[in-house]
Amino acid sequence: MAPTVNDGRTIGLRVDGVSKRYVHRVKGAVYAARDVRLDVAPGEFVTLLGPSGCGKTTTLRMIAGFEKPDGGRIRFGGDDVTELPANRRDIGFVFQNYALFPHLSVRENVAYGLEVRGLSAAEIARRVADVLELVGLAGYEHQFSAQLSGGEQQRVALARAIVIRPRVLLFDEPLSNLDARLRVQMRTEIRELQRRLAITTVYVTHDQEEAMAVSDRIAVMNRGSIVQEGSAEDLYYRPASEFVATFIGRVNLLAGRVLSADRSGASVSVLGATLRAGAGSGPWAAGSAVKLVLRPEAIELRRAGETPIAATVESRAFLGEKAEYQLRCGGERLQAVRYESAANAHPAGATVSIAIPEDTIVLLPAEAS
Amino acid sequence: MPLTSAVRAFRRDPAVMVAVVALWALLATFVVYPLATLLVRVFIDKGAFSASGLISVITDRHQIVAFWNSLLLAAIVGVGGTLIGFLFAFTATRARLPRWLLTVVDASVLLPLVSPPFTTAIAMIFSFGPRGLITYELLGLKGVTVYGLASTAFSEILTYFPIAYLTLKPLLAGIDSNVEGMAHSLGAARWRVFRTVTLPLTVPGLANAFLLLFAASLADFATPLILAGNQFPVLPTQAYLQITGLFDLRGGAALSFVLLFPALAVFLLQRYWVSRRFYVTVTGKGAGQAPFDSVSPGMRALLLAACALIALVIVYFYALLAYASLVKALGADHTLTLAHYRVIFTEGLKAIRDTLIIAGLAMPLGGIYGILLGYLVTRHSFAGRRTMELTSMVNYALPGTIVGIAYLIAFNDPPIELTGTALLIVACYVFRYGPTGIRATVALLQQIDRSLEEASTGLGAGSGTTFRRVTLPLIVPAFFAGLGVVFIRSMTAISATIFLVSISWTLITVKILENMTELALGPAAAFSVLVVAIVFIVIALIGRLLRAFRSPGVGQVTSLLGG
Repeated sequence: MAPTVNDGRTIGLRVDGVSKRYVHRVKGAVYAARDVRLDVAPGEFVTLLGPSGCGKTTTLRMIAGFEKPDGGRIRFGGDDVTELPANRRDIGFVFQNYALFPHLSVRENVAYGLEVRGLSAAEIARRVADVLELVGLAGYEHQFSAQLSGGEQQRVALARAIVIRPRVLLFDEPLSNLDARLRVQMRTEIRELQRRLAITTVYVTHDQEEAMAVSDRIAVMNRGSIVQEGSAEDLYYRPASEFVATFIGRVNLLAGRVLSADRSGASVSVLGATLRAGAGSGPWAAGSAVKLVLRPEAIELRRAGETPIAATVESRAFLGEKAEYQLRCGGERLQAVRYESAANAHPAGATVSIAIPEDTIVLLPAEAS
Repeated sequence: MPLTSAVRAFRRDPAVMVAVVALWALLATFVVYPLATLLVRVFIDKGAFSASGLISVITDRHQIVAFWNSLLLAAIVGVGGTLIGFLFAFTATRARLPRWLLTVVDASVLLPLVSPPFTTAIAMIFSFGPRGLITYELLGLKGVTVYGLASTAFSEILTYFPIAYLTLKPLLAGIDSNVEGMAHSLGAARWRVFRTVTLPLTVPGLANAFLLLFAASLADFATPLILAGNQFPVLPTQAYLQITGLFDLRGGAALSFVLLFPALAVFLLQRYWVSRRFYVTVTGKGAGQAPFDSVSPGMRALLLAACALIALVIVYFYALLAYASLVKALGADHTLTLAHYRVIFTEGLKAIRDTLIIAGLAMPLGGIYGILLGYLVTRHSFAGRRTMELTSMVNYALPGTIVGIAYLIAFNDPPIELTGTALLIVACYVFRYGPTGIRATVALLQQIDRSLEEASTGLGAGSGTTFRRVTLPLIVPAFFAGLGVVFIRSMTAISATIFLVSISWTLITVKILENMTELALGPAAAFSVLVVAIVFIVIALIGRLLRAFRSPGVGQVTSLLGG
């Protein structure tokens, strides 16, 4: 019987309270990962997202079996694999630097895992040909990694990882060595391939846009722990902390004070005016200090006097389909993004007023800094 | 708890555990045990602790003189060899030599490295002895004596300066030429750039080279045996004479124990102090940019002339050796003859055959030992990993005299009786010269990203398969470097194995020494030429093999004898 997550789905991968400590020369004992918990449904694509040093790679390497956790368990489906070495876990791992065997050809690289498994030569030949076809590298069989471009090396690494039909597919910042255009193309390919093969996948990156583009679900990590997980929309529109709010997308964080609150929302004093915000993670007590999360695209620019909140345009940058504004408003600086026609543009120095729709504001408790 | 964790480690990775246990058993037998027996022999007399043997040695005026002589000689050789090594390295990296000239420099530097240790000593006697080509024939001097400090030091400097060259060349080549160019652009003249930038960056390398040469000279046994004479006794020869001349094993052990201290001090200094102070990372790759024009045309000519002069001396020495092997008696009768070669291929045939068998056995074993231990200590974590690495370096770092005497004492009696066997000589070479392979392996592995092996493990391969199919092909160059060094040293070494030869198994180098003491200089020269020839052929073969094995992307070992 495979265990199930709360909503009744079966489990592809469960990271159950896993920790990893190491001893730092200056800081002493440090947690690289601390009580990390994560469930991944079969065929689901989950990304661990966070700044460098947040523990995402350590967590991934513990899932792979390259690092042994100091505590906690790791399960693939119903099996506890915590004590299994990496070579007996049936994983596909794609490294940041691809880690292609430089002394083996493309074909030999891809066939490696199959040979280790003792498959027949005919079967190996068939599967290698299939997977190279799949990643668009048919005809590259006898090339060596030194002769391949970055994107091609990436595809070989991917083919080598999936050809063994792993139980879990793991990516460690696989696109960071590629140029921007290729990065976008490859992430689409990875996503399509993963959907087609329906392999349970954990993907590590520090690039929030990449994470949002490829994942079913994102787990944001900070200082060794998962601080919030959910869909890209969840994280963007309903951040649970200042860290998540600032890490995912751009944001204006404003200090405010709750004036009154009820079930449907709260009235907040901010920018010298009173704004209405949705309840969010309330309830909020009247008088409590809060942080308001305002996404730049939520700030609407009106003619001066139309709303009670006045602002001055400090600068405007035209970026094609959109324009970015730097505004000065009651001693705070705000950034706003507008998709507007030239006729509606507000030049630098102009006085405007701003409106903020109630449902776009997220309230967070003010954190002790 | 340690037991259960050991059991778990075994279950996780049986191949690694088996290899670790086997290596520890070998190290215990051939490194720890002999050294321990040596200490016991020095300090235990008739079942009780006694320092009397040691005290009688260190209070003997003659031996005190030998001790200071050893240090003096080592210091002179250290300074002289480092200077010449730096001269060659600087010229090779900065004087914009054409390719062919670089090859000539490398070859002339290689020559002393691959020769039996007393070839220069023999050539010295041919040139400057009582009937020497230069002193007697050329200058007409009579009754000249070549023996003493000056000739010993000169001969050792010529023999060992290549070590300094090989240490300093990659260092000088690795200095980012932009740094020198920057100093130049800030207004510093060439000499000032050299003095304030190049030289300070090389200082750790110079210290390193000095210590390596110091250790080499301290350990050298053959050169002083032939050239130092009675007037200039040094410790290794004293220990040898104590044992072979006076049959005083305990006294020899005590003398070699005294030698242990400076040797150990130098080793620790080199390993834990100097090697941590390098500013320049040696990657093996050139800096890539157009090199800073750091040498003026006049200076370039001067550097070239100095190098050419030294190279000429070396070439002259070897030519002389070859000539001496082809004439009846150098200095007396210069009729061409193959008689000396006839002698070595009849009377000397056994020594040649024995040496080749022993070198042929030691070579693969030493090569395998080197990469296996190097791989385990860099890529696996197990209890005692660093101790294992350090232990493996002991026989390599100690002067051969100590190792030889320790082996002689340890394996003479049960439980492990190996005296007189080829196995003992082979073991001596494997554990004394195999560490070169260990170092080459460690250096190469540090350049190979660990993710390559993890990729293999992730794909389901166990540690054995990963090693065989991924790591091994990538460290093949280190394997061949290890093979090469073990073979060369098996052909040319004498300091340790002179204590281990027997009626059943003897060595060419020992034969050369016998010939020298019997004043049969012709056969000695012929043997030396033969050894140099065999070594060059084997180096060429290994070089060819290396090229054949070099697949795209596989790292390189900068020099066969580097490290």
